[in-house]
Amino acid sequence: MSEKRNGSDSRTVLKVEKLRIHYATPQGDVIAVSDISFNLYEGETLGLVGESGCGKSTTAYGILQLVQPPGYIVNGSIEVDGTEVLNLEEEELRKFRWTGLSLIPQGAMNSLNPTMRVKDQITDVIEAHEGKQKDREALRERIFELFSNVGLPNRIYNMYPHELSGGMKQRVCIAMGVALHPTVVIADEATSALDVVVQRIVAQTLIKVKDEIGVSLIVIGHDMGLLAQIVDRIAVMYAGKMVEIAPVENVYAKPLHPYTQLLIDSIPSIKERKPLKITEGITHDPRNPPSGCIFRLRCPFAWQHCAEVEPPQIMVEDLHEVACHLYDEQFHERRANALATIANS
Amino acid sequence: MGGISLNYLVRRLLVFFLTLWVAATLIFIIPRLAPGDPIAAMVARLSYQAGFVENSNLIIEGWKERFGLNDPVYVQYVRYLTGLLRGDLGYSMARFPSTVSELVGRALPWTLGLVGVATVIFFVVGNLCGALLVWNKTPRMVRVMIPISMMFTSIPPLLAGLLLVYVFGFLFKWFPQTYSYGFGMTPALTLEFIANVIHHGFLPAMAIVLVTFGYWALGMRGMMITIEGEDYMILAQAKGLKPFYVLYRYMIRNAILPQMTALAVSIGTLVNGAVLVEVIFNYNGMGTLIFTALREQDFGLIQGTSFILITTSALAVLIIDLSYPLIDPRISLEGR
Repeated sequence: MSEKRNGSDSRTVLKVEKLRIHYATPQGDVIAVSDISFNLYEGETLGLVGESGCGKSTTAYGILQLVQPPGYIVNGSIEVDGTEVLNLEEEELRKFRWTGLSLIPQGAMNSLNPTMRVKDQITDVIEAHEGKQKDREALRERIFELFSNVGLPNRIYNMYPHELSGGMKQRVCIAMGVALHPTVVIADEATSALDVVVQRIVAQTLIKVKDEIGVSLIVIGHDMGLLAQIVDRIAVMYAGKMVEIAPVENVYAKPLHPYTQLLIDSIPSIKERKPLKITEGITHDPRNPPSGCIFRLRCPFAWQHCAEVEPPQIMVEDLHEVACHLYDEQFHERRANALATIANS
Repeated sequence: MGGISLNYLVRRLLVFFLTLWVAATLIFIIPRLAPGDPIAAMVARLSYQAGFVENSNLIIEGWKERFGLNDPVYVQYVRYLTGLLRGDLGYSMARFPSTVSELVGRALPWTLGLVGVATVIFFVVGNLCGALLVWNKTPRMVRVMIPISMMFTSIPPLLAGLLLVYVFGFLFKWFPQTYSYGFGMTPALTLEFIANVIHHGFLPAMAIVLVTFGYWALGMRGMMITIEGEDYMILAQAKGLKPFYVLYRYMIRNAILPQMTALAVSIGTLVNGAVLVEVIFNYNGMGTLIFTALREQDFGLIQGTSFILITTSALAVLIIDLSYPLIDPRISLEGR
């Protein structure tokens, strides 16, 4: 775990506000990401978690301006180091890419061009942003440096992707992701396809490189256990909404939102077997989300008020926000009852 | 990595020669299964033209002796195969004493030139059109024009040839209608002669290109759409590479691989189409030679020309096969 703990007084490198992304379908728009706001501070690692289809990856692709049709950004603001990404012209955006925001992709297995050598794929991103590199020797040294950052042997320099193992390909993607020292790196389930041992090694490599190069990192994943080891803060998403964002120790020690509680409770233990509390996936039609709170249909504590008013993001303490009416001071009695119920179960 | 082992090369060459042997054998057997007798047919044709041929029985016998048709079949077969090995394709029966090798030697370069150039053009143009149909930076005009120009794909090469001859050869008189070079010219490596050959070859080549490139454009379009959905395309976009670089280094480079395989497979069909086009333009290549051989029931020439066409097709497939590891690094022919 990174020792550095950032307070809200650190510099904000990424500021996402009211980001809303829809997928157009013949039956109406699917709301994939619904008015999400959060900050990423300098040097911080933020974990983005939630079940499949909750909009984690869509949020990441929205920030990167990579939402593929039929998806589109409805509104919002994405500021990286004071630059409004959504206002960039095409050529400006191309130049901004990878230097401002870079991506370590989901399926590293297929994320490298099969007909290009590893060195050429790293070279092309360097040359696309820094122009033709005349000094080939220096370029080679630079790539070797990146290899050693992520623990890759120099012999893969001339290899093709199909000659590498899954873990190696993932490391190539990490090396490529930090090649231009971007402000923010987004790792989209970068370790999902790997076995637990390699997963852990790659995750640690990611954090090591992040600290060495000094970038800020967003890690998307659904492995709560792995994320607990590597991130500073965790943002929990449910059905396109951000329901809770908190320092990692708070999330595991005292999760506030009923959904976060269910999620923490469903982390499999290797010591005991326990029944799963969450029995279904997202239950509502994403084209017609329920009124009020998005989670009320599955929430054990929901009452009339939840159907009428959408809960605001309530700041419970520094860096810890939750979108649930239970934490509104006027409902403190209900909160006490709810906490008692949890304690008894 | 991406190489060819000696073992593979030898085995691939064996397959190549096996193909030729099977083809040669079939070419030998098939005419002999047909009823009738080529010499008798020829003499009958002569007597039809001349009214009467004296001692026609003797002529038939004499020629049969001359062509060795009285020997047992296996003797003829061995003689035929050893002849092939020495490059001796026998005599043309209708144009005796011309040998098949002479006639083929005169016709083959023209066909290789015509079909070769046409193949390069339709492969490049077709794949480029297919790629541009998918690329998101393609100008709207181009996107609209390509499907319209592809309507020729559904026309048989025969009709496309006739249409071109009529419009550009007969009505507008922009291009000559027949033959591979102007009458009265002697083949030489002069600029004038080469220009003349290109002028003459333009319409026949266009006839092949017009009806073929749409097929390649559609294939390429499908491949490009598949490639567009690959994970590495998202990464290419995220990397902020220049759009044109992404088009050729990421999209076309990967989409072209199955197209190369398809080209190897389609070479036989391609030659068939070229035969008809040559006949329409009276182009003095293999197509016209085969056509006259068929019309004159010149069995020696039919056998020889068929064999040469099969050999060139097999050779082209062999070359594409062996070059595959060079274009797709994932395919290695080492140690197989």
